[in-house]
Amino acid sequence: MRRWRYFGYRLAFALPVVFGILVLNFFLIQLAPGDAASVLAGESGAASPEYTAMLREKFGLDRPLLEQFLAYIGNAVQFNLGYSFRNDSPVFELILARLGPTLLLMLTAFGAALTLGTALGVLAAVARNSWRDAVISVITLICYATPVFWLGLMLIVVFSVNLNWLPTSGFESIAEGYEGWERWVDIGRHLVMPGTALGLFYLALYTRVMRASMLEQTGMDYVVTARAKGQTERKIVFGHMLRNAFLPVLTMAGVQAGNLIGGSVVVETVFGWPGLGTLAFNALQSRDLNLLLGIFFISACLVVAINLAVELLTITLDPRIQA
Amino acid sequence: MSGIPTPHLSRRAMLLATAAIAVAAPPAAKAQTPRPGGTPTPVPGGTMVMIVNPEPATLATYAVSAGNIPPITTQIYEGLLTYDWDLKPQPLLAKSFEVSADGKTITFKLQEGVTFHNGAAFTSADVQYSFMEIAKKVNPNGPVILRELESVETPDAMTAIFKLANPAPYLMMSLSSNNIPIICKSVFEGTVPMQNPSANRPIGTGPFKFAAWERGQFVRLDKNDKYWKPGLPLLNRIIARFIPDAATRSAALETGEAHYAAYSAVNAADIKRMQANPILDSTTRGYGTTAATSVLEFNMRRPHLAKKEVRQAICYAIDRQFIVNNILYGFGRPAVGPLSSVFSTSGWFTDDVRRFDVPNRLEIANKLLDDAGYPRGPNGVRFGLHLEINSFGEQWLRQGEYLKQALAQIGINLTLRSEDTATWLRRCYTDYDFDINEPFYSAGADPVIGVHRHYVSSAIRQGTTFVNNKDYRSPIVDKLMDDATRELDRTKRAALYHAAQKQMVEDSPGAWLAEVQYVTIFNKKLHDHTMGPLGTYEAFSRAWLER
Repeated sequence: MRRWRYFGYRLAFALPVVFGILVLNFFLIQLAPGDAASVLAGESGAASPEYTAMLREKFGLDRPLLEQFLAYIGNAVQFNLGYSFRNDSPVFELILARLGPTLLLMLTAFGAALTLGTALGVLAAVARNSWRDAVISVITLICYATPVFWLGLMLIVVFSVNLNWLPTSGFESIAEGYEGWERWVDIGRHLVMPGTALGLFYLALYTRVMRASMLEQTGMDYVVTARAKGQTERKIVFGHMLRNAFLPVLTMAGVQAGNLIGGSVVVETVFGWPGLGTLAFNALQSRDLNLLLGIFFISACLVVAINLAVELLTITLDPRIQA
Repeated sequence: MSGIPTPHLSRRAMLLATAAIAVAAPPAAKAQTPRPGGTPTPVPGGTMVMIVNPEPATLATYAVSAGNIPPITTQIYEGLLTYDWDLKPQPLLAKSFEVSADGKTITFKLQEGVTFHNGAAFTSADVQYSFMEIAKKVNPNGPVILRELESVETPDAMTAIFKLANPAPYLMMSLSSNNIPIICKSVFEGTVPMQNPSANRPIGTGPFKFAAWERGQFVRLDKNDKYWKPGLPLLNRIIARFIPDAATRSAALETGEAHYAAYSAVNAADIKRMQANPILDSTTRGYGTTAATSVLEFNMRRPHLAKKEVRQAICYAIDRQFIVNNILYGFGRPAVGPLSSVFSTSGWFTDDVRRFDVPNRLEIANKLLDDAGYPRGPNGVRFGLHLEINSFGEQWLRQGEYLKQALAQIGINLTLRSEDTATWLRRCYTDYDFDINEPFYSAGADPVIGVHRHYVSSAIRQGTTFVNNKDYRSPIVDKLMDDATRELDRTKRAALYHAAQKQMVEDSPGAWLAEVQYVTIFNKKLHDHTMGPLGTYEAFSRAWLER
């Protein structure tokens, strides 16, 4: 019961946070010089001033800032994300189309990194200062230090161009027109390289955090007690230490959940993956404010939601936290 | 989107086709053996994958003229005319045309039996609507190209008569599918053109129909079975893929995943490697109406640049051949003036102008600056200027880095400033807060379309991008260009342009650096893709894939 009250308190706190993000986003974006009309006109070569003025009027950019702001807030509280004039499409549709691939890529990379990272971290901590620890440390250091775009390009050169095992880029092979099960296998083949390129970075991160966290637990009283009771090493590690050592990793994962929705511009660009990261980047480049604010809004909501979930998970794992 | 499923190859056949490609794909695995007996015979069917970069924001080609839209939309929309290799107008949706002696009336006879993808019959009413209601009103180039067009008369369903206020020789050069697409009147009537549902689901008369657009991934086009040219198109499908990273685009061509990439889709640095690949080939044809030139614009409102001597000195300081060799990797030619040498075909071009590529050019430049009253300071610097880096790609920063060194030789300290597209455009075309800008122009098929606006004083329009932002006001050039706009006699028109080029190079409101030569990279299995000067701005109706 107390847990739920605590949770309700956190939830109530989240609403002003989302609202604050909304307001801040709007005014931050206004600071960027140039507008969508001038970019669109610029891409058209030489557009007449009438053309640019017509675009401004259509986009609502000629109205006073306060009026634009109120309209935006009014729409946002109704979850109406507006219309992307640049893309001639509703913002919600644009985001929805990218959300699936983004989540697929990020969850795969994130999930694999979290499980493997935890396992490797435990392995390294248990065999501290052995050759296994050294090998794991070196590998994680390399993964952590390798730029993601370089890794991505190298994967393409080796596995697509030279070995021809995997497709270079994209989400699926459109030309083949696969359906059903075959289509999922095809998407999976496209997922391997971007997932790897992205996941290795997080893998390195979680391995290191997990290793440090495990070592910190080693000297704790409860571990000494358990050992004194004569429990097996395996039971001590998996039954007692793991749960406690996992908390910092979980906290970090919760913080990084924002990346999950925001996507990775670099990986998406290298592998032509249709994710939210590139959509946001292009929206910023072209000053497509409605779209950009829409992405910010959805991301903010999801990050807040995921953080609440992580919080719930944390107080389940460690009931002492709810004070 | 049309809900009618179009017949296409069975999936098994498609798989076999792609398996064949996959077998040939590993580079250097097996060079393709040439077929005995010369040119292979076209076979219908297959899916062509082309790379378009960057992904267009919209497919409303009738209202937005960004260069990455026509490779897709010219498969769907058609214009009245197309052009042969000598840039002579050829029939497309117009079966024939006749220009009156005074140049003020153009009569088009239209192709019969043409239908739009939604089933509506194509008539002169569609032509009238496309020109008067769409192109003239919402096409960004409409006010220039169609300035003289007063009305389109439709005496019968298959005749459209253009009435002009003054002769407009350039108009006949601007009627291709990418310039003025013919749209379906019944789809647009009574709607706001840019919010029309067909903006991103185009409905035209072309050989391919719009099927789907998965944003961030691809546009799929399916064969138009009712296309008016019998037996065409040969391909079943075209897929335009969007891959943001240049290295990955190259890899997709090398593995055979993609068959065709035009314009700058392949990095200049990668082109030599692509050309050495046994499954790929390249061509520099198909860019006959582009006339792309990299230039510098001088802001003549600034005290230093207001002096002709300073502007000329900068022109002398730049080694254009160096830019071609090192920035463009050899894919280009040094430019000598405001008109590209592409206009040699039409006779408008001349290189009989003040030449900046003389051996003692640095000596001349330094002397000009000394005479202008800008002696070198104690550190060898006369004065400093800013260069605004073009935001449309990495190569422009390279060019800026070279220019900094080139201008240092004559004592001008150049500071480079990189900003994103919106900020850059605003600074150079709205705020006029720049010294030197480094844009990139496409002249189009006629100087009136893409050259005049950079130099005539009537095109000094604050807030409009890519027009005369230099504050260049020359009554001589204004008059010459104005006359050339209306002159029907080719010899007289050529003389006007030659005089204008001479004057402009002398005044040097800008520096003309290099004529860019684009390269198309394609898979050797793809045939008959570049059939005219429009290249990728024309439908792939005859293109076919070897299997």
